[in-house]
Amino acid sequence: MSDALLSIHVRRKTFGETLVLKDVKLQLQPGEVVSLLGPSGCGKSTLLRIAAGLDRDYSGELSSAGESVAFVFQEPRLMPWLSVARNIGFHDDGHYDQAWVRQLIEEVGLSGFAEALPKALSGGMAQRVAIARGLYSRPKVLLLDEPFSAVDAFTRMKLQDLLLDLARRHDIALLLVTHDVDEALYLSDRVLVMGHRASGIGGGIDVDLVQPRDRRDPVLAELRIQALTQLKSAHVV
Amino acid sequence: MTLFSRMSTPLLAAIVLLASFASVTQAATPAEVRLDYAYYSPTSLVLRHFGWLEKALPGTKVDWVLSQGSNRSLEYLNGGSIDFASTAGLAAVLSRANGSPIKTVYIASRPEWTALAVRKDSPIKTVADLKGKKIAATKGTDPFLFTLRSLQQAGLSKDDVELVHLQHADGRIALERGDVDAWAGLDPLLAASQLQAGSTLLYRNIEFNSYGVISVTEKFAAEHADTVEQVIKAYEQARSWAREHPDDLAALLAKESGLPLDVAKLQLSRTDFSDSQPGAKQIQALKAAAPILTAESLVRKGVDVNDVVDQLIEPRFGAQVIGKQ
Amino acid sequence: MSASENTLAKAAPAPRRASPAWRRGAKGWLLPCLIVIVLEIVVRVGWIPAYQMPAPSDVALTLVELAQGALGKHVLASVGRVLAGFVIGASLALVFAAWVGLSREAEAYLEPTFAGLRAIPSLAWVPLLLLWLGIDETSKVVLIAIGAFFPVYVNGVAAIRNIDRKLVEVGQMYGFSARRLTLRILLPAAMPGLFTGLRSGLSMAWMFLVAAELIAATKGLGYLLSDGRETSRPDIVLAAILALAVLGKLSDGVLAAVERRCVSWRDTFTGEATGNRS
Repeated sequence: MSDALLSIHVRRKTFGETLVLKDVKLQLQPGEVVSLLGPSGCGKSTLLRIAAGLDRDYSGELSSAGESVAFVFQEPRLMPWLSVARNIGFHDDGHYDQAWVRQLIEEVGLSGFAEALPKALSGGMAQRVAIARGLYSRPKVLLLDEPFSAVDAFTRMKLQDLLLDLARRHDIALLLVTHDVDEALYLSDRVLVMGHRASGIGGGIDVDLVQPRDRRDPVLAELRIQALTQLKSAHVV
Repeated sequence: MTLFSRMSTPLLAAIVLLASFASVTQAATPAEVRLDYAYYSPTSLVLRHFGWLEKALPGTKVDWVLSQGSNRSLEYLNGGSIDFASTAGLAAVLSRANGSPIKTVYIASRPEWTALAVRKDSPIKTVADLKGKKIAATKGTDPFLFTLRSLQQAGLSKDDVELVHLQHADGRIALERGDVDAWAGLDPLLAASQLQAGSTLLYRNIEFNSYGVISVTEKFAAEHADTVEQVIKAYEQARSWAREHPDDLAALLAKESGLPLDVAKLQLSRTDFSDSQPGAKQIQALKAAAPILTAESLVRKGVDVNDVVDQLIEPRFGAQVIGKQ
Repeated sequence: MSASENTLAKAAPAPRRASPAWRRGAKGWLLPCLIVIVLEIVVRVGWIPAYQMPAPSDVALTLVELAQGALGKHVLASVGRVLAGFVIGASLALVFAAWVGLSREAEAYLEPTFAGLRAIPSLAWVPLLLLWLGIDETSKVVLIAIGAFFPVYVNGVAAIRNIDRKLVEVGQMYGFSARRLTLRILLPAAMPGLFTGLRSGLSMAWMFLVAAELIAATKGLGYLLSDGRETSRPDIVLAAILALAVLGKLSDGVLAAVERRCVSWRDTFTGEATGNRS
């Protein structure tokens, strides 16, 4: 589709001798939330980094329709010498948009921590700052690489809700890499399942539930079984 | 009982034990005698060369250490590295005035071994011209004190010039390279600079040269009086040989110092070996020189330098030996 | 947000009830005071002769005398040399450290040479510098600069090489130019290591200062040191050593204070066990 926000086609990607990705295609529509679900080493993070422009050593095409793309890493990766506010506005050096940063701080639930240093933050709080930093440049696409894998289960659930809230509010499409089946199903409109290395995108699951979703929804439970079945047939579980 | 009080008794006992060991070595002749030799003391070279002291003290090990100047020699003496030090008389006075318990027991020579030297084509003509200039001089030696006395005579103090502390050999190089404007030289290097580089003597004054002397520590003099007399006897042997064989002496000095024969001859031409017993003459000369030490604050306040000279000169060892050969 | 959010917050860990700062500082003074008292007694009683080890009270008197006299001139001369040498040496070192740290090529060409030069002890440089640069201020300042250069350089390179690659990637994601990457990420991240190098370089500068002033100086604390040596004044020697120690400590203190201000964001082990953090 020609109005896709992000369109990526990796014909071939190797790390040295090892083939990691082969003939993988992916498109992202405006307002979509898409998850890449798979085990470690299946190439999902590699695909995401290629989509972000962090990795240019592949053969294939990437088009992001001229829209800005932001990235949230697995670790918060905040600059330890800068305050929360300056970290969020890092893209603009010293003259960052203070009002916008303040608003973002509120939206991610960190009011009052604008001048705090990263060493004073918990893991969950730091990741919130990282998300806010991602939102600062007003992207249309947010790429996230296992963003909540380092926090505990309860913090994770809160952060997932926050993410959805922000995405809806600012009309941002999300492309998310995760190894958590429940997370993928709870967040996404589409879940793309990747098997072992270089096996490509095997299956996919369309989640037709409206947002906001209830974690106890039995439909989610059914979709979970579907996902596990696909993963099993790909010899992942 | 705290750790401290538990430790203090055995600690005290250990210190007392160690101290008593030091005084047990009360032999009349020590197992080892250490002397220095220097190119500014030709008779020390003679004595070392012929080994007369080794013959006179058969049961004793004799060690020889090279001294580069009075400052080094006194440092070795005070630090217990040598027993007999060859220095300038005034340098010994300075050391004694600052608390070193030393005694001068012998006069090695009456040299004119120092003078202020300038480069061949130097524009400096008088001592007064040295105001504001750089002078290389080895602190704590006769050339240094010579410089101070010469400056004082010309109405200058050491703050009116820049005194650069370099050991004698480095001072010569600095003069010849042009890094300093004048050098308080010491023989044989002074003679070498004159003959080899054409340096001229800006100012010379034999009265401003103090004698070449040999000193020991009070402790050594008290414990090994016999040895002191033996060493003086040996030096007397060297002295009479030096007076009887001037050409051989020049050859020996040239060989030892590594300098040409004419340099050695120049140094010896201004060295006098006729008198070796420390007495009234030396005391008078040193007392006349001593005020410079007070004037230039080289000694602590309140020190009576005249008393120091009296305490320094010890004629009784020489009296036993000299003139009775 | 909700109260539960705040309970999740990890406030800066409350310090355990450590003894007040002044008491800790006082403990540091106990040993030196003991040494001074023991020395005073031992010298006065006569176990150690005064002409070899002057009593501390004598040294204090000498210091006072010097302070009324030429001490100020000597201190100024020494401090000036250290400052000049340190600034020159440290600046050059920072430039080379940045170059070698950021470029594998530069490292391949330069590092072996620097490693070799670094091994040369301070006193070995002296005759060479005297020969090439004479006995004036130049040779002294150059010697001090050499002393300051190597710790700053070595620590600078290590600091740059130890920068977390993850932080650098954030800059790359933003598409930072090399210059922006250096200024905004590499330099601040390397600060802690750089300061370690600077403090080490400063103490080396003081050490090389003494070596420089022991030979052919007309003023300075090292000159005072040799003055005491040549004229049999061990009290002057000790007074000069004391002055050097005090100045060294003071200058390091200044640098440490600057370091504290610039590097307070570090989240590192402080040497004090803090127990459980809830």
